[in-house]
Amino acid sequence: MSWHPGADQIEVMRPPAPGAAGGTYRAFAETMRGLKTTFARVIEGVHTLQYPEQKTPVYPRFRGRHRLHKFEDTGLEKCVGCSLCAAACPADCIRVVAAENTPELRVSAGERYASVYEINLSRCIFCGYCEVACPFDAITMGHDYEMSDYQRSDLIFTKEMLLAEPLERAPLRAEGE
Amino acid sequence: MPRPEHRSITFTIDGREVQAPENTILVDAAKLGDVEIPVFCYEPKLGQPVGACRMCLVEIEGIPKLQTGCSTPVKDGMVVHTQTARVKEAQAAVVEFLLINHPLDCPVCDKGGECPLQDISYGWGGGTTRFIEPKRHFVKPLELSPLIAIDRERCILCYRCVRFSQEVSEDYQLVLHERGAATFVGTFDGHPYVAPFSGNIIELCPVGALTSRPYRFRARPWDIEGSGSVCTLCPAQCNVSFTVRDERVLRVLARQNDGVDDGWLCDKGRFAYQSVHSDERVTQPLLRDGGELRPVSWERALATAAGLLKKAGAGVAGLAGGESTNEEGFLLQRLIREVLGSSHVDAAGVDPVDLWSLARPDLQASLQDVEYAHTVLVLGTEPVDDMPILDLRIRKGVRRNRVKLAVATARPSSLDASAALSVRYAPGGEGAFVTALTAAVYGGDVDAPAAAAGADVDAIRTLAELLRTGGGDDDNRAPGDVVIVWGTRLLGADGGAVTPALLKLASGLALTGRDGGGLLAVPASTNERGLLEAGVAPGLAPGFGDTGAAGESYAEAGIARALRDGDLTALYLLHDDPILSRPDAVGWDRALEKATTVVAHAQFLTAGLREHATVVFPAESYAEKEGTVTHPDGRVQRLRPAIGRQGQTRPEWWVLSELSRRLGADMGILTGAMASRQLFDAVPFYAGLTLDRIGGRGVRWPADPAAAAAFPPPPEVRRDVAYETTATPNGALRLGTFRSIWAGIEVELSPALTFLTPRQQVEMAPADARRLGVAHGDKVVVAGDGASLEATVVLRNAASPGSVFLQTGIQTDAANGLDAALVEIHKA
Repeated sequence: MSWHPGADQIEVMRPPAPGAAGGTYRAFAETMRGLKTTFARVIEGVHTLQYPEQKTPVYPRFRGRHRLHKFEDTGLEKCVGCSLCAAACPADCIRVVAAENTPELRVSAGERYASVYEINLSRCIFCGYCEVACPFDAITMGHDYEMSDYQRSDLIFTKEMLLAEPLERAPLRAEGE
Repeated sequence: MPRPEHRSITFTIDGREVQAPENTILVDAAKLGDVEIPVFCYEPKLGQPVGACRMCLVEIEGIPKLQTGCSTPVKDGMVVHTQTARVKEAQAAVVEFLLINHPLDCPVCDKGGECPLQDISYGWGGGTTRFIEPKRHFVKPLELSPLIAIDRERCILCYRCVRFSQEVSEDYQLVLHERGAATFVGTFDGHPYVAPFSGNIIELCPVGALTSRPYRFRARPWDIEGSGSVCTLCPAQCNVSFTVRDERVLRVLARQNDGVDDGWLCDKGRFAYQSVHSDERVTQPLLRDGGELRPVSWERALATAAGLLKKAGAGVAGLAGGESTNEEGFLLQRLIREVLGSSHVDAAGVDPVDLWSLARPDLQASLQDVEYAHTVLVLGTEPVDDMPILDLRIRKGVRRNRVKLAVATARPSSLDASAALSVRYAPGGEGAFVTALTAAVYGGDVDAPAAAAGADVDAIRTLAELLRTGGGDDDNRAPGDVVIVWGTRLLGADGGAVTPALLKLASGLALTGRDGGGLLAVPASTNERGLLEAGVAPGLAPGFGDTGAAGESYAEAGIARALRDGDLTALYLLHDDPILSRPDAVGWDRALEKATTVVAHAQFLTAGLREHATVVFPAESYAEKEGTVTHPDGRVQRLRPAIGRQGQTRPEWWVLSELSRRLGADMGILTGAMASRQLFDAVPFYAGLTLDRIGGRGVRWPADPAAAAAFPPPPEVRRDVAYETTATPNGALRLGTFRSIWAGIEVELSPALTFLTPRQQVEMAPADARRLGVAHGDKVVVAGDGASLEATVVLRNAASPGSVFLQTGIQTDAANGLDAALVEIHKA
């Protein structure tokens, strides 16, 4: 069955044909109207940020690259390897393999710890569900957004990389800014 | 006791009229009306309900107080409410009460995500707690056994594990200590809970109090996939579900099939999966080069094997081990018979015509018959070792259905305590004993065969009386349903006399064509029955047909002899190492030494293969396999691959069909399913089977009248065979053998089970030990017929003096190294 235009027909508003009086108006008057806006902004000065020398400051709740945390007093990892972040992750980019703490090797505060904790940042959609799911506040979203790399494999962040103090390259937006 | 018959009644639940069988427990009946009543302690597999957790409280009209749904049978006209304010308040209160002492460490707990307590708290709990006092504390986590971790803080005292230990496996090890809030589960004196079925309590526990140590913290429920298959580590062929994460089997759970396993697993089935990922696995083809097996490419291995087999031609014999599937066995016999023109294939090692006669569908009892029979006779087998799940089934029948159990074995049985009658005979007197028993039932001379069997005549007569009358009183002397659970090892011992006597016994007890009674074989290896039906037997084509081969077809012992004599030159071993699994290890060692070519499919390089194999193809483990196996009661079950093949392993059906192609015959098989198709077409009583029809539950062909009618009638058994007389000790000791449940390389190579690996032990009566001057735990040398081995003395009070028992199937010092009826024992 072929399609026939009926009630669905759309009226197209045609602009004035070029060369006519309407065309002249469009080329001149409308251009001037646009330039008025442009010149009005010139006095405001330059808005361009010279990235990467200059960076956009982020809001405190900006969801950047994840961080894993340790207890400040004991130095033990907060993560117990419960894998709830992996369960919550809609992009399925977190992989956790747990292991048991022993008296000789105590990594976390609980019975278990994450022996493998990997986030594939090339798949992560930065939704922050992992942070919400974490019962121990072990994972939070940091402020770092500069993660591009030359290899996809380099975008799989391991536990050591996530635990390390990140280079705080992204400035935080000051109060009221 | 016959199966109970149920009348259908109508009751009302939440305003809905529901039809249910009378006396169904309310929790189960409610499900028929799509109403869920939450439970913790109720588990129908455990028998009588206890009503311990109070989670299932419901309101029944006419009864002023709330009732427990798990212990109330439904009656006609009953009106039940589960949604009233009273019920909801009670449910919320019970959840709050259970959570008072339950630690909230769900993120750490292995049960988290598959925990009934979590589910019920979300579904029926109040959501808040008013309890601010400190919780109860125990030391945690503790090892209840090397396989099970116990966390007593999490325990909600539902009694499930204790009931399992007391009433199902009857090992009576778990008990509840103390009273009130201080109650905790443990063994009486704190020793580890080590028992053949201990792992089941992990699956029973509704909270994370009992967790598996090998699975500890390995994965969470959302990380894993379940994959249903069948365990092929023993003839019980329990249905299992493999838990797979990242292409590795991490756990094995029971997959309830009432016709097979009743939802239980033994610890070997539950934990021996670890051997699948063992470093010892053969994962690439090996070829003997300069006296040593070296890894080679598939191309080279196949070309060499094909060349060697071609050279040997009709001088090839094939042996299939019990772990082979029906398809693998079927293709092996095609390769040996059709392609190579030899007629020597064997699997079971006993006279196949005997097995054929005893596998008749009209004599066949199903596994469920054991539970509902009037009398069960366990003859010449130890179920807990040979087919562990059957042991639980027999105990269930005795405990719940008042089945009369009789045990007739050479070795003291673990079922003796549950048996109404136990009869002992001397090892080597199997044929004579069955003859005597048949004579006692049927009439005839009992004294002579009883003496030849070394058994007590009066005990045999009492046993015959029990079988004939069902143990009833004078008014009720119907023979009833009798199930004879017999070990096919009997045939290996004195097959010629056992078969006719057993057949006569069965017809004397009117078991032919009887529903609810019959014979149930306990094979010596996993798929003995399937391989026999697939034609891996000397002189019998698939489906007990005629092979049309001229001359003698050698069975296992004949193959060994012919290899030694040079009549045969090559041996094809499918999942088999004769030095470990066959009698007469010394003879087999010489046979393999003499063979010019030994081609083997193996998962592990066992002693015989490491020494003698020419080409070794890596074999699939049971978690990787595709195909069918046949349960001893005739149920054809399907194996499905749970994980990818390890290393370069390729399927056995492919290797067999590729070898055949290289030898100039195309089998016409491109997929595993095509091999199944060929098998079902070749075996008349498998006609109409498809992999889809077999599905997850299996199909019992003897129960299908069309299939049973297609069963070829076995030839008349020889009735003239005389039984053998058991050897007279005359100062020495009679030698009997047994195979422990823990025997097998899978146990040894599973880190969790290694501690159970059996060492050779010699079981004897205290009287004999006193005479020989040895004590329990002494190291001794057992010598007989020129060979000797080392063993540790184990004293058993129930053992009959004059006989000792050694283990077979173990890696070192196995009893098949001694081919003697009598042995001498002296201190090492």
